[in-house]
Amino acid sequence: MSYAIEVNGISKRFRIGKRRSTTFRDSLVEQVRTLFLGQTAPEVDFWALRDISFSVRQGDVVAIIGKNGAGKTALLKILSRITQPTSGSAVIYGRVASLLEVGTGFHPELTGRENIFLNGAILGMRRSEIKKRFDDIVAFSGIEEFIDTPVKRYSSGMYVRLAFAVAAYLEPEILMVDEVLAVGDAEFQKKCLDKMKTASSREGRTVLFVSHNMEAVQNLCQRAILIQEGRLVADGDVATVVSQYLHSFTHNKYEQAWDPAQAPGNEHIRLLYASVQPVHRRNRTLYTHDDLELTFRFELLRAVPTQLDVTFHLMDERGILVLVASTAFSLNAVHTQTTLQARAVIPGNILNQGTYTVNRLLFVERKSYILFEHNDTLSFDILPQPTGRLGWTPGRKEGILHLPNLSWTLEPC
Amino acid sequence: MKTVISAKQRGLGLNLPELFRYRDLLFLLAYRDYRVRYAQTLLGFAWAFVQPLLTLIVFILVFNKAARVETGDIPYPVFVMTGMWAWSYLSFVLTQAGQSLVTSSHLITKVYFPRLLIPLGKSLVAFIDFSVTFLFLVFLMILYRYVPSGNIITLPFWIIALVALSLAAGIWLSALTIRFRDVQLVIPFLVQMGLYFSPVAYPSSRIPEQYHGLFYLNPMASVIDGFRWALLGTPLPDTGYLVYSFGFILILVISSIYFFKRTERIVADII
Repeated sequence: MSYAIEVNGISKRFRIGKRRSTTFRDSLVEQVRTLFLGQTAPEVDFWALRDISFSVRQGDVVAIIGKNGAGKTALLKILSRITQPTSGSAVIYGRVASLLEVGTGFHPELTGRENIFLNGAILGMRRSEIKKRFDDIVAFSGIEEFIDTPVKRYSSGMYVRLAFAVAAYLEPEILMVDEVLAVGDAEFQKKCLDKMKTASSREGRTVLFVSHNMEAVQNLCQRAILIQEGRLVADGDVATVVSQYLHSFTHNKYEQAWDPAQAPGNEHIRLLYASVQPVHRRNRTLYTHDDLELTFRFELLRAVPTQLDVTFHLMDERGILVLVASTAFSLNAVHTQTTLQARAVIPGNILNQGTYTVNRLLFVERKSYILFEHNDTLSFDILPQPTGRLGWTPGRKEGILHLPNLSWTLEPC
Repeated sequence: MKTVISAKQRGLGLNLPELFRYRDLLFLLAYRDYRVRYAQTLLGFAWAFVQPLLTLIVFILVFNKAARVETGDIPYPVFVMTGMWAWSYLSFVLTQAGQSLVTSSHLITKVYFPRLLIPLGKSLVAFIDFSVTFLFLVFLMILYRYVPSGNIITLPFWIIALVALSLAAGIWLSALTIRFRDVQLVIPFLVQMGLYFSPVAYPSSRIPEQYHGLFYLNPMASVIDGFRWALLGTPLPDTGYLVYSFGFILILVISSIYFFKRTERIVADII
């Protein structure tokens, strides 16, 4: 099989510390200062990527994973020719479409129909190709009756669906997808993931997929590349690399508090605080028999009352999704602009020992539309019960669940 | 298809086959600008007629009636409209293309396509107003029963010169604006001054001979004189000034592409 992507020692440097001069005056002042004083204020180089090399065979589906700021998007931007590397090179065989966000170039004043053509062309499709697939795109989006309405009248859900539908009908040889599935309605996300899966398995497309959603990654890809602080630290079978990634959270995050000015969030949600702790103790050591209390405090920024739910995905150190918990199963509250706190208690004696990560924290509107997703919010170890009262010392983790209190009977029959 | 991504620069790097492959996007970008400009306006496309009409009236009142600019046996409205026809294209492209990269930053940081399409698209939209103004001019000529001169067959040539000059200057300004936002503030001033220093509302013959060297430094002066020569049969500037202007335009075109390509490599990082 031949290669689709060959990357040779790509590095990308950003200059920080010194502000790049963006006005004539700054530029002049800078020139003059350099002339008289020699080198000016020391420039700090920040290497977003360092010496990345790998190759991808045609038809492979490869995940790029890593923490926020590790350099995944920088890599994708270089491979899709949005920015240039500082050094190194890459060769790409085939037509590339890259999806760094959905709906790039959508214009609010234009109708859905016009935006399909514009967005398609921006993503590299010919007009004739779009025309051919137009009906399929509209059907996939499921917004037939609004197709001639300006998209500024769309709900955010409709907007995302239309944008995804265009992307879904891209037919490049190589598809590069950044974390675009982080927003949108959950049902529709699944539809898109399925579409991507067919694209690779049945149509032999090469896919590079950046995501925090370890479940999607493991479902979709055979191979994963792990990037940490700009370096490629692992490349191989998806299960192995995902587990290495989840293990890399050496500094467990039992508690996170954000300054409102720098808090993660968007125009809808601002995440302020997250923590995990045993219910009846102050310290942070968690044992298998502890009831665990998870707390998420956030600010809802929407002035319009909305039905809001908080959902989190808990993943173990091997990347197995252990549970999805949500207020949507039990609550039906409507809120407007305020600070809210969600509390969930996971009863003791369910989770086995191990390292767990709140891998996805979702804020969901009207049970369907994801307003904001935060990744790797919390990470914590659950330790085996310290007492040896079982008669043997628990060593290796035995199973995903830890249920010492099953109702057993053992009697002659 | 093989794409090489490398840190090294590759010459002038004007990839014409690639530009051609993206031609649909060029037209769609222009179409978007056209649609968005008149979206939700009361008069809609009628605005394209209102603007030249009002400008024409102001010019007649100020230059013809008040300042008594004489244009011989050519009716003043026909005379001034010929100048405005050429000038409005230049001013539209300079204003629109100059800001085009900055206002397209949401595209530039998210997806790849030849960036040159952005200013190119603006020069394409400008043709809509250019055509409308042309209709106006034809209407005025019919109204004043003015028969254009035989030089009219050279008109396409002058239009090409105008487009080349406008586009090259627009490309320069768009790339400069990325590096120095000051340029954004300079453009409106440049366009306004240019209107006075070009023979739009007055004939070049009004400029005293000894200042011609200075006056024709502005290549647009020769281009507008060319438009008038082709349509109205007024005299052309001296050959020396014409050669200078065409040389200027040629150098501007080549240098604009070169500078734009150099900026394109870093545009997503500094925008």
